[in-house]
Amino acid sequence: MNFFSLVSVELKKIKRSKILLILLVPVIMMWIPSIINSDFAFDTRGIPITPENNFFIQGYMGMVWFMIPASLVICTVLLVQTERSRGGILKMLSLPVNTAKLCLAKFTILILLAFAQMLMTVCAYCISAALVSWIQDYNFILDPLYVCGNTLSIYAGAIPMAAVFWMIACLIHTPVFSVGIGLASIVPSVLIINTKVWFAYPMSYPFYLLMVQYGKAAEGMYDTRIDWMPWLPASILITVTALVVSCIRFGAAERK
Amino acid sequence: MILNLEIKKLKRTGYLPAFLGGALLASAFPLANMLFRPETFTAMPGNPFDILMDANWQMMAMLNTLVSICGACMMYHTEYADHGAQKMDVLPIHAGSTFLGKSVIAAFMLAMVTAVEVLILAGCALHWFPDYRPDTAELLKNILGSILFQWTASLPTVVLMLVIASACKNMWVSLGTGVILVFTLFIFPQDNVVLSLFPFSSPYQTLATAAENDRIFLFLGVCAAEILVFGVLELIYQKLRRCVE
Repeated sequence: MNFFSLVSVELKKIKRSKILLILLVPVIMMWIPSIINSDFAFDTRGIPITPENNFFIQGYMGMVWFMIPASLVICTVLLVQTERSRGGILKMLSLPVNTAKLCLAKFTILILLAFAQMLMTVCAYCISAALVSWIQDYNFILDPLYVCGNTLSIYAGAIPMAAVFWMIACLIHTPVFSVGIGLASIVPSVLIINTKVWFAYPMSYPFYLLMVQYGKAAEGMYDTRIDWMPWLPASILITVTALVVSCIRFGAAERK
Repeated sequence: MILNLEIKKLKRTGYLPAFLGGALLASAFPLANMLFRPETFTAMPGNPFDILMDANWQMMAMLNTLVSICGACMMYHTEYADHGAQKMDVLPIHAGSTFLGKSVIAAFMLAMVTAVEVLILAGCALHWFPDYRPDTAELLKNILGSILFQWTASLPTVVLMLVIASACKNMWVSLGTGVILVFTLFIFPQDNVVLSLFPFSSPYQTLATAAENDRIFLFLGVCAAEILVFGVLELIYQKLRRCVE
């Protein structure tokens, strides 16, 4: 079985899980307050930012801080529980398939789901920006390339976090702990983003990337360029370590 | 008997350690804030306990809500994972008593978590604010009042989450619904009175803010009513489910 057929098998497993609906609802919800209070985009409170950039960044703020990590945690629960509830994982492990490949196929599904959510977000942004432009009679629509580029960079920044959540799900079999650690790790990222060691905390990467965009759009609010040096090696190291550990430990409890 | 049964079910699920861990993590916020940047808070005018509550409670309440969501999902996951719920249905006990048992346990855990957090906040206020020397009666009133108010304000969220978890057989659906509700009510404006009374939004309200706006009894009354409504909803749902299944 090659990797792609494994991924398609995994996709089939989650066909009726309603996960896309669960991922879609917060995407819609995050734009509703921005549309209702669309005049707030003009109230920049002395920050030198254009209303259209303000609308974009304020809308994305909730997403990078809470929605992306929380959605990833829910997706890991889905990937783990669909197998465990009916002993499906035992059947998968008895197949002549490399366990590490199986683990990576599941991780691929996790990041595919996150990608689907990012696509939904871009679409939701375009619709709500068009709607607000019509309501306020002011052009809120930013360059689509800028929006897509930003969303893609935020998505890339979320991959190390996805790897860490996947490692936690593979290592800890008690759902209350694996889910609890995942959800609890979201809250401190607001504090950690302002410390010097933010690069060691993957849950804050998407938030950091948006804050850098904020810094670029509004002078003096935050850094205007990404600190690649400690960050890039740290994030690669974290991702690779998390994936290696999860590949080693995947199905370890069932194999005993 | 039912309470005993429910406690036994939770024995090896890590429920108690998860709540304890949540309480300790939430308590780490005021401690970290006071250890790393005490001057930001000590320079502020007003009651130190209220200053610390204002600065930290949003995050602490969010953590409490997230841990409660996890706990509720876990409680019903143990029922649905191996058809435990069907076995419970054939026992000669009232359909709602399982829910009641779970609610009592969840409410007790929430009370414990809230108490730990409020005590840590009071401890921080006493330790880092040298001028804050209230007499024992005033301090006790402050602490007990806060525990009771924050507990009541968070309780509808916990009960509603149990209702959601009891309705969803798949853990990710109940977890997803809970997380969506947390997210939605967090990004909606908090200064709206009607919205702030909703479950998943009321836990962020602090006693001092409610007292300032003269809304303590409004909050307590609405929260108590919400708990009752959710309890009745669950009972109706149980009856309906028995007819359908």
